[in-house]
Amino acid sequence: MTSTSLEGWQRLAPLALVFLFFRSLQKFIRENLFVFVGAGAGFAFLDWLGPRELVLAGVGVLLVLVGGSVIYFRRFRFRIEDDAVRLRRGVFEKKELRVRFARIQNIQIGQPFYFRPFGLVRFSLETPGASEKEVELPGIRRELAEWMRDRIAERQRTVAGDIPADAATGDGNAAEVYHAATGRLLLHGVASNQVWVLAGVVAYLASQLMNRFSERLDEAEVLVATLERFDNGWLVVVLALVAVLAILIILSAVIAVLRYHGFRLEEAGDRLVARHGLLDEREQTVRREKVTGLMFRQSAVGRLVDCWSLAVRQTRSSDAQEQAERGGFLVPGMAHRDMDIASRLLEGARAPGAIQPISNRFRRVYWQRWFVLLLAVLGVFSFAWYWGHWTSLLAAGMMPLVLLILHLRFRQWGWCRDGEMLWVRQGWLGQRIDGFRLDRVQQVRIVQSIYQRRHGLANLQLVLPQGSVTIPFLPLAAAADLANEAAYIAETALDHRV
Amino acid sequence: MTDSAASFSNRPVDTGELPDFQRVELHRVAPAFVPYAVISQILFWAIMVLIAVALRVVPFSPFAPAWWMVGLAGLAATWSGILAWLDARRRGWALREHDLIYRQGIIWRRTVIVPFARIQHVESSSGPLERVFGLMRVKCFTAGGAMSDLSVVGLDGESARKVRQHLLEQIRDTGDTDADRGGVGDVDES
Repeated sequence: MTSTSLEGWQRLAPLALVFLFFRSLQKFIRENLFVFVGAGAGFAFLDWLGPRELVLAGVGVLLVLVGGSVIYFRRFRFRIEDDAVRLRRGVFEKKELRVRFARIQNIQIGQPFYFRPFGLVRFSLETPGASEKEVELPGIRRELAEWMRDRIAERQRTVAGDIPADAATGDGNAAEVYHAATGRLLLHGVASNQVWVLAGVVAYLASQLMNRFSERLDEAEVLVATLERFDNGWLVVVLALVAVLAILIILSAVIAVLRYHGFRLEEAGDRLVARHGLLDEREQTVRREKVTGLMFRQSAVGRLVDCWSLAVRQTRSSDAQEQAERGGFLVPGMAHRDMDIASRLLEGARAPGAIQPISNRFRRVYWQRWFVLLLAVLGVFSFAWYWGHWTSLLAAGMMPLVLLILHLRFRQWGWCRDGEMLWVRQGWLGQRIDGFRLDRVQQVRIVQSIYQRRHGLANLQLVLPQGSVTIPFLPLAAAADLANEAAYIAETALDHRV
Repeated sequence: MTDSAASFSNRPVDTGELPDFQRVELHRVAPAFVPYAVISQILFWAIMVLIAVALRVVPFSPFAPAWWMVGLAGLAATWSGILAWLDARRRGWALREHDLIYRQGIIWRRTVIVPFARIQHVESSSGPLERVFGLMRVKCFTAGGAMSDLSVVGLDGESARKVRQHLLEQIRDTGDTDADRGGVGDVDES
């Protein structure tokens, strides 16, 4: 690829229109589905409209989406400069954006199946602090995308100035760090919490639909009559629920395999490269220097089948954790022995060692508070006329459950110091272990309640570029030592802001 | 072995010898902050009380709160006023060579340490009531999300300007290397 062919403003390939249309359709559905289904307002609206109007409205929405995509496509221009990429885009207002190569922390090259026959790809860039992908070029030639990827790496090395010239760029001397077999990916899908999210959505939609049918056909009676035909009506209901759950688990496993098919993580010089995907082949590149932390995660099911995932954390502006993790750099389907790859992803990191517990006053104080709260609730409501015996029993029955959850939470919460690395574990049924170097700390906070002050305890909160991590109920001396050390390491670190 | 590798050392650090943030003598916030904090807290609840009373008095009001609700709002005003008074008298800040320390809170006491090397930019501002009392606040922005920005509230105008100037100088000193490495200002939008 010669630089002369890139002079001036470039346009996207016409096939990008398909991508832009699908993306806007997906966004429209995502933003409106719950508003539409929520509280049955959407169904009431549908009843009010006739079928003809409904088709017309649907066609209208599609036309607006197609029109929007066409205008976006026609106005979209990009230009590669010596040390930056420049974009012009916008439907209603024109925006011009310039992103310097030196600050890019994440490069993605994706190839949806319909781009494949034409050799086109989707090229995206992310900088620290961006809540979403800063630059997205759907429908550019693969060679151009790969050239830009290498060019960005080259510029970043020139700016950093401390990496030897023979550090790898292309695939030639990439070393494999980890690869996930299909069986592990299936486990990842099964163990993923995505199943419960899907179950929640299905339950919500089903309840909405049931309400709607019961209004019209008195469906509830029909259902009861149907169930009565069987000798064991409730068994049928339970079996149906199990079947739905099984379908959701299989669906989640299939989604995981489609998404992470052939997952390979490689290190190429100063970069980490992950490749995966069946329908949408993706290549994600992250500079190791821009990795601000690691997060090992294991769901409750994952603990049973030894399945971990690892999220590579980077600077984010969003406070919402889940939002920030969407589209992040994730290593799926790991077994416990694979956790050693931490050392290849973050300098100075090793798999977390023995975890030190927090003070058991954490459990004691929350148990006491919950107990007092339960007594207060029972006391107040025992005077209310609608308070039956069964509700009292239910409330009292909740108590051991809450105590158990608090106990599990106490058992999980802990920390482990290893050189300049700090690992913090939390969770209750599942677990999550955040690891980071103390030189990445942005702020140190010591928080003490009146109870904690009385018992010489403190919560230590460390603000990091990827969000904050808290260790509660530490002995004050330990919290102060960690705080002093974190401040010292952050203040003497060579690397400064992210 | 390169020169930098030869001169590199990595001796263990004795945590007992590190500067302890707990031993730092904090400056109290400006005396004018005490009445400001009490008034601004009480003002919020006083407005609630006024609305509640107005709803009772105005004819054809859609909702007339009971007197005990008005009393409760009054109690909340008194309680938050007392807390604000106690908190304002104990708030403190300090500048060390490499960081800024700020302590606040009565029920939850929170001490924040912000290394200068981590501050991305600084902003000073004052609201109308703060201006009446000659107060100013300095806000420090670091990476880690909007929730993690630190507001140093309760400085008098002169101290606020000095703190801001000091922070800006420190940022400039520690930020020189960042600019070479591609620091702040990586995305230009127009």
